[in-house]
Amino acid sequence: MARTALDNWEKIMFDDYFDELDRRRFLAGSAAVAGAGLLTGLPSAEALANKFPSRNIKVYVPTREGGGADRNLRAFSSIWKKYLKVNFEVSFYPGAAGRVGYEKYMGLAKEDGHDLLFGNMGPEVLNWVVKKPTFNVADLVYFAQMDRDPGIIFVGRKSKFTHIDQIVAEGKKRTIQVGVSRLAHPATLGVLALGRHTGAKFNVIPLSGGKNTRAGVATGEMDCGALPSGGIARRGKNFRILAIFDNTNPIPDKIKDAVLVNKHFGMNLPPLIAGARAFGIKKSVIEKQAHHFKILKDTANMVFNDPEYREVLKKTKVPMALFTKSSSPEEIAKYVKDITAIGEQYRDLLTGKS
Amino acid sequence: MEFDPALFIDLFARTFTFWWVILPAIFLGLIVGAIPGFSAANTIIILLPMTLAMDPEVGLIFMVALYASSRMGAGIPAILVNIPGTAGAAATPLDGYPMTKQGRGQQALAISFVSSVFGGLLATIITLLAMPWLSQVAFYLHSVEMIVIMLFGISLIATIAARDTLKGLIAGFFGLMIGYIGADVVYETPRGTFGFLELYDKVPLIPALVGLFAVSEAFFVIEGESILSKRGKEAMQKAGWAATIEGVKIALSKWWHIIWTSMIGLVIGVVPGAGAAIAAFVAYQQSRAFSKTPELYGTGHVEGLIAPESANNGVTSGTLVPLLVIGIPGGATAAIMLVVLQYHGVTMGPDLFMESPELAYGPFAAMAVTYFIMIFTILPLARYMSRITVVSTIYMSPIIISFTLVGAFVPRQYMFDMYLALVFGVIGYVARKTGYHTAAILIGVILGPLLETYFLRALKMSEGDIMVIFSKDLANVLWVGLVISLCIPYAMQRWRAWKAAA
Repeated sequence: MARTALDNWEKIMFDDYFDELDRRRFLAGSAAVAGAGLLTGLPSAEALANKFPSRNIKVYVPTREGGGADRNLRAFSSIWKKYLKVNFEVSFYPGAAGRVGYEKYMGLAKEDGHDLLFGNMGPEVLNWVVKKPTFNVADLVYFAQMDRDPGIIFVGRKSKFTHIDQIVAEGKKRTIQVGVSRLAHPATLGVLALGRHTGAKFNVIPLSGGKNTRAGVATGEMDCGALPSGGIARRGKNFRILAIFDNTNPIPDKIKDAVLVNKHFGMNLPPLIAGARAFGIKKSVIEKQAHHFKILKDTANMVFNDPEYREVLKKTKVPMALFTKSSSPEEIAKYVKDITAIGEQYRDLLTGKS
Repeated sequence: MEFDPALFIDLFARTFTFWWVILPAIFLGLIVGAIPGFSAANTIIILLPMTLAMDPEVGLIFMVALYASSRMGAGIPAILVNIPGTAGAAATPLDGYPMTKQGRGQQALAISFVSSVFGGLLATIITLLAMPWLSQVAFYLHSVEMIVIMLFGISLIATIAARDTLKGLIAGFFGLMIGYIGADVVYETPRGTFGFLELYDKVPLIPALVGLFAVSEAFFVIEGESILSKRGKEAMQKAGWAATIEGVKIALSKWWHIIWTSMIGLVIGVVPGAGAAIAAFVAYQQSRAFSKTPELYGTGHVEGLIAPESANNGVTSGTLVPLLVIGIPGGATAAIMLVVLQYHGVTMGPDLFMESPELAYGPFAAMAVTYFIMIFTILPLARYMSRITVVSTIYMSPIIISFTLVGAFVPRQYMFDMYLALVFGVIGYVARKTGYHTAAILIGVILGPLLETYFLRALKMSEGDIMVIFSKDLANVLWVGLVISLCIPYAMQRWRAWKAAA
């Protein structure tokens, strides 16, 4: 399944399909609206029908309220609504590692561009690697990626471990308990890959979300944890980050003593971006309502460039460097491809079959 | 986090000046708590645009007041019409509703209000004074210990089964089986969902709760004219203000019971992820285990009402401890509060107590003031609230069914949940008619998934070694406590029988 999914993602993401379709349909739609308006001097039925958005935007979130997705979505939509001139209605559909929210979106969302999904691409794409959904994953397209937050390994401030080498050394003597948000997660993959490479024994314990994972590490039940960096860096006085699964340290002022896993251990992992929250939309909307999608994409880009948006992000206390300043379909496609590929490598561990 | 009397006096005095925020929050909390499906968490979400626009201190006071009062509000329909507003109030009708049937609804409400207020108030004050120590509780109660704590609550099934062993155990196991429906917590593999996506995230609690208790009750009471017995009706008609005063006196005479059961709530509340439902069931089970009259529990016994009500209010301040000390919310409402505080740029953790003590200690001051104001606002209402029980079942049943079906729909907004409530209603009705205890089913539904979560986590950590459940000293102490608390009622019964015979 995953191979097919990967092929489809590549097919969707690597051509100029959207832009061509957008331009063609948007121009045709615009011409029709303008023509009708000129003829009558009043908005025609067709013009009204083409008015987008004509109602509030409904957003399906496949996680519980109160988490990182909730926080980021509120920040983004608070500015986006200014450009779209409608409000956002957010519905949370947690369950089965995001599966419920995705299935609900793909099953119920209308194909007019008013219904969007907002999820964390990494864990959710990995989810399809380990368990096939009922829909074709190529029928969902991500856009407007909000953050790029690498997976990290962290410990509590009171932990005896102060360097990743100590954890690896200890892991060669006994099993290290590693709290993770869920098994199918980029940060989990990083831990498993590090264990395989170094021979350290890491036992990943899924704790159902970042909040529980931080609690597991903070209360000492877990030796260490693996999550996106933002939530941990923001709580730097309670936790210490020891390793980063990326080729650069995105927030050197906040993460001072951590090593880059690839460089430190001579590994060749792709950047394991654990926090990559983006909007999703049905591919059919892009095909049938290209001008609607173009409006969504263009206005989302305006949000990225809006100084007010940066101010809202600052209030989240998440390091600003973890938020993207723009979003490109090519980067999203590469990210999805890389995560899917490494997920395939560790499929056995993610499904408990080894 | 050192105790500074001047700071606290100033903080309380300051919080009282926010009565204009606290008062509407109390009434709103009571209403949303009393309506099944609504809760403090989803009300705060709905009101998020308003709370985000408020000053952080005012917003926090509003949310805390709403949270505390909703906890109390959930007990009102549980006592009067057998509908727990939330899972935290699921143990309240066990003795509260029989009191209502006896025409003591007004008295039961007064007892519930006093227990809730004093339990909540006491837990809040203890939290303020003992914050550094309380924050350590979570460092000791890990998965293995939590398995035993869950079993304290689940052992209530055995207590219920004591009256009819086979039926009690069948009901309990049936509830546990329902509780295991959904995706497992390790590999997210769906089990027993019958292909329904709506069941992947476990059987939703509110439809199960309102179905088993309220819908089945509506089916049941329509067979008679009133939910009150004949004597109950007479007693209800005579009831005046004296019933409220009598209720207050009875509750205050059980002050020690309120203290220790609220402490159970506080300790369980401090553990992230635990909650009011566990605390209420554990407190009820412990109350019965150490009672001189365990046989009266379930028949409208005062202590059986006090225990869950003071425990679930004790939880309220406990859930805020991990949020403020380590920045990890102890429950859903605390998680939403965190979103609001983060929006205002407030960073949780030990430094908050030094940088912004009014924000760190403020929630507890707000909670204490809320409880204080609440007792004066809600007690006079007991008399009028209890009048609902004299409404004829011809009107009562359809009202209950309509309200509860809306309540089942609200949390997730799935039509599926309304059908599910009806299914549970039918199950509950059949169970009642055939002598199976719906409370035993519900205990399984509520505590089963939590037990499974901690159990699978402990097993994963031990790489499949079942003996992990006896691997921790504190857990072993709890195991001994569990065995003792299960044996005590039986031993005391035997001892009394022996003494009577001698």
